[in-house]
Amino acid sequence: MSATQIAGRIAGVDAGAPIRQSSLWQDAWRRYLRNRGAVAAAAVFLLMVVWCVVTPIVSPHDPNEVDFASAYEGPSWSHPFGTDQFGRDLFTRAALGGRISIGIGFAATFAILGIGVVYGAISGFVGGALDNALMRFLDALYGLPYLPFAILALAIIGTVDFWTMVVALSIASWFITARVVRGQIITLKENDYVRAAKAVGVRWYGVLGRHLLPNTLGVLVITIFLELPGVILGEAFLSFLGLGISPPDASWGSMAQDGRDSYRAHPHIIVIPSLCIAALVLCANFIADGLRDALDPRTKET
Amino acid sequence: MALLEVSDLRTHFFTREGVVHAVDGVSLTVEAGGTLGLVGESGCGKSVTALSIMRLLPTPPAEIVSGSIRFDGRDLTQLSERELEDVRGREIGMVFQDPMTALNPTLTIGTQIVEVLQRHLGLDRRAARRRAGELLDEVGIPRAHERLDDYPHRFSGGMRQRVGIAMAIACGPRLLIADEPTTALDVTVQAQVLDLLDDLRQERQMALLLITHNMGVVAESAHDVAVMYAGQIVEQAPAQELFSRPEHPYTEALLAALPDLDDPHARESRLAAIPGRPPDLIDPPAACRFAARCPYAELGDCCALEPPPLRELRPGHWVRSAHPASERHLARL
Repeated sequence: MSATQIAGRIAGVDAGAPIRQSSLWQDAWRRYLRNRGAVAAAAVFLLMVVWCVVTPIVSPHDPNEVDFASAYEGPSWSHPFGTDQFGRDLFTRAALGGRISIGIGFAATFAILGIGVVYGAISGFVGGALDNALMRFLDALYGLPYLPFAILALAIIGTVDFWTMVVALSIASWFITARVVRGQIITLKENDYVRAAKAVGVRWYGVLGRHLLPNTLGVLVITIFLELPGVILGEAFLSFLGLGISPPDASWGSMAQDGRDSYRAHPHIIVIPSLCIAALVLCANFIADGLRDALDPRTKET
Repeated sequence: MALLEVSDLRTHFFTREGVVHAVDGVSLTVEAGGTLGLVGESGCGKSVTALSIMRLLPTPPAEIVSGSIRFDGRDLTQLSERELEDVRGREIGMVFQDPMTALNPTLTIGTQIVEVLQRHLGLDRRAARRRAGELLDEVGIPRAHERLDDYPHRFSGGMRQRVGIAMAIACGPRLLIADEPTTALDVTVQAQVLDLLDDLRQERQMALLLITHNMGVVAESAHDVAVMYAGQIVEQAPAQELFSRPEHPYTEALLAALPDLDDPHARESRLAAIPGRPPDLIDPPAACRFAARCPYAELGDCCALEPPPLRELRPGHWVRSAHPASERHLARL
């Protein structure tokens, strides 16, 4: 092969046969998979979700069936997590409680995200006086303590169920998300490609919807797993105090409350839901860290 | 009538430190199908002029305080944002300085070009995609149709600039504003991109406003040249005339600063530089803005007293100086 042929072939390759198509998300996914802690956390997280969804369906025990004959049993083959003071199977009941805890956690997180994205995007995109007004309003709200406000909200609504818990937990916790989204939008707005999009006449909703919001998606995915622990802990806290989910429904918080009276003699009743909360929160934090490293490799060193 | 007539444009930035007179009375004309080179050093207001024409500056802090921008008989300063969105990309295209940041990294280049075509020409997806492929081919991207689904990070700087040009010309604008299109590129690629712009201009009979700080770039492709200094046009003339008979002391100094490779002593001698720095645009001098750096400022005290007007020395040759080269002998008498 002559030198020119070789040069031609090299130039041909260089001119761009796609060697490997990869988008930003595929790159991030590969980086995430290299992070063992985050992968393990994601696996445990998924396992817990599957457990919560599947167990109550296949379990031979009715989670609400009272059976005083088998109360306060320790872990055994028929009751892997033991039973509580009413003889209810804790394995099934913890899964049922997990459904509510995780369900409220995700629902409230998405509510937080929804409010935060709309508020932050408007503020950052419009800018100027409106941005100023919205942010000063946020400053004022910032002083609101999150849990007392949730309690107050529940008191005002009057009833406590799944959806009112979601409202109570999200109503005073979307401020940080709004601020993060606003900051992202403002930073992204300065990008040349946003200016380039405007320079070819893309309308404002196109600029916002195609060039700004999709680029905040990485941050939003991270925010989901950063907000989730706080919301799950908030729900557990309220239910533990008896202000949240009440019997016969169960959440991990209300189950821990059930075990409070007999924690010396039968610690497993309080330990098991507490471990579930701790495991889930830990996993969510690991996932958030892993996602941040994967989606923005530059921050990894710091 | 000229395609673009900017007259007495003033764009100021209202900042906490004060009002920055970034563009302060710029007038220029771009003829249909012609190339105007807008030259000047960094910070002299070239880009602000371009972005003012596109009306792309964020308000606040920037504001066009006076002047008009007549494009094809319409005053762009009077149009609503909605009307401007129809002008941008359709009638006036723009190429940006840094091709590494001017493309959205999360969208394929096909998606980005299709977006423009659908926006202005109302093509359906398939037709727009076919057209996008043709455009990439036109700007010299090998295997254009296959590369539509590639993300920007898979292109080199020069190739990305070609994609940026394809986007800018997609809807057949009559004016293309290229803001330092070659500054961020390798020297070997610069000439190719300039040639491409010039070819496209001729084929499509499109006018080109070429903004650069590089006299060489202007010499290569501009018909007319406007030299900008501290927010004002200090000299405008046909390119031939400007290079052979520069009138303004600043233009003379810029041309003298070009290294001359034919000069046998060039290697030993230092490069010529202009002493001093450009004035602060928050508080520009009331009189001639170049006076502090001008070697001819002592020829008369008018330089420090009153601003020189932009006047037509010869047909088509405009100068803003009290002592243009052809009049200096008068002052010495």
